[in-house]
Amino acid sequence: MTFAEQFSQNFLEDSRWQFIATGLRNTLIISLFAVLIGIFLGFLVAIIRSTHDKTGKFKFLNLICKIYLTVIRGTPVMVQLLIMYYVVFVTVDPGKMIVAILAFGINSGAYVAEIVRSGIMSIDQGQFEAGRSLGFNYAQTMIYIIIPQAFKNVLPALANEFIVLLKETSISGYIGLMDLTRGGDIIRSQTYAALFPLLAVAVIYLVIVVFLTYLVGKLERRLRNNERS
Amino acid sequence: MSAVNEPVLIDVQGLKKSFGSNMVLNGISTQIRKGEVVAIIGPSGCGKSTFLRSLNLLEIPTGGRILFEGTDITDKSVNVDRMRQKIGMVFQQFNLFPHLTIKKNIMLAPVKLGIMTREQASLRADELLKRVGLPEKAEEYPAMLSGGQKQRIAIARALAMNPDVMLFDEPTSALDPEMVGEVLELMKELAEDGMTMVVVTHEMGFAREVATRVMFIDDGEIKEENKPEIFFAQPSNQRLKDFLSKVL
Ligand SMILES: Nc1ncnc2c1ncn2[C@@H]1O[C@H](COP(=O)(O)OP(=O)(O)OP(=O)(O)O)[C@@H](O)[C@H]1O
Ligand SMILES: [Mg+2]
Repeated sequence: MTFAEQFSQNFLEDSRWQFIATGLRNTLIISLFAVLIGIFLGFLVAIIRSTHDKTGKFKFLNLICKIYLTVIRGTPVMVQLLIMYYVVFVTVDPGKMIVAILAFGINSGAYVAEIVRSGIMSIDQGQFEAGRSLGFNYAQTMIYIIIPQAFKNVLPALANEFIVLLKETSISGYIGLMDLTRGGDIIRSQTYAALFPLLAVAVIYLVIVVFLTYLVGKLERRLRNNERS
Repeated sequence: MSAVNEPVLIDVQGLKKSFGSNMVLNGISTQIRKGEVVAIIGPSGCGKSTFLRSLNLLEIPTGGRILFEGTDITDKSVNVDRMRQKIGMVFQQFNLFPHLTIKKNIMLAPVKLGIMTREQASLRADELLKRVGLPEKAEEYPAMLSGGQKQRIAIARALAMNPDVMLFDEPTSALDPEMVGEVLELMKELAEDGMTMVVVTHEMGFAREVATRVMFIDDGEIKEENKPEIFFAQPSNQRLKDFLSKVL
């Protein structure tokens, strides 16, 4: 078969390209919403943990956070996804997309939490005291002074976390969800030609990741130029 | 100004502070009246910062009481944040907020704490920027400023809350020598305008010329305090004599 024939067989016949298109759409949706959940959870956990470290408050919540971090970071994300699908949501079925978004979001939250916490802890104690001395309470100081700085500092790391997450969603096929990887794999199983569909999948991931990496680099430079501190 | 008839702003009664077994302040009692400029001097590690930081509860005293405008701020039921709004503080390391422009540094607290509207705070910031001689820096970020400029902005930021008293912890110690003057000059102007000030400093010239009272702390105690004329000319405490002979 010529190159053109192979291409046509894998992507054009029976509109097989749609597997890739739908898969890509699902991959992007899962990644996007999972990262939003991850950032929300991550900030929540990071704030509870650093408040505990600084003030000794939230003993119980801090314990829960620690368990969460240990469990999530101590087990493979694939196992978490399978448990989410076959155990947690065994009776109610919210849809595979929701299951994947939740599993990846909860997983990502644990990593985001540690990124954000290190960001908070890296802010000079003098910033905190300056805020308190002006009359801000603990929460106001965090919100107006500490978190904005911490967020700026960890933005590149958070963006990288998004890139990692995007690639991790490629295991979504294990719960029968058609993400980008599974889309390519379905074509392979229909045409018995592995090279083209899988190469296409790999190239798409690569393009997205390279593009995002480029954006992160740009962001990092912008942040550095902005205040130079 | 004769401060004797002015009301007492800060009344420190038997203040004690220890870190673990390290007793840093060992019963300090003094009164700071409206309009006074109190310079605190003493050897490194004697507890000057700890004393100053206790006055707005950045350090929590382990004993004694501190009355601010009649209210015991060491009382657990007192809203410390409210009290701190009336007590400005200037740090050795400036501690400007690097993520905000100069003007926003000044406006943040009055606006977010609901003391002023955005418009009022903006006007006040412009006024203060003029007062500290840096109106052209309004839209710049702290990183663009020299040390002396940063400290003048830090003073403006504290003044924006219209505090009743200003605490300074070695405000010129982190500055290059050529920038010390501009900050001291500004503090002198503040003092002349009647601001009540407590200043931990190594600048004996400032203590001598601007302070209305100089306080020597050593071993966690006030060993001597007096008007600067007497304090420097006729020190009675031996440790103070030794100290002065070293720094003068
Ligand atoms: N947070 C802290 N934890 C433990 N010890 C502390 C703490 N802060 C201060 N100390 C100790 O208290 C003592 C007094 O410190 P302080 O900073 O008040 O001295 P100082 O007079 O301001 O000295 P300097 O002139 O060097 O600024 C020192 O022995 C110091 O080690
Ligand atoms: Mg000190």
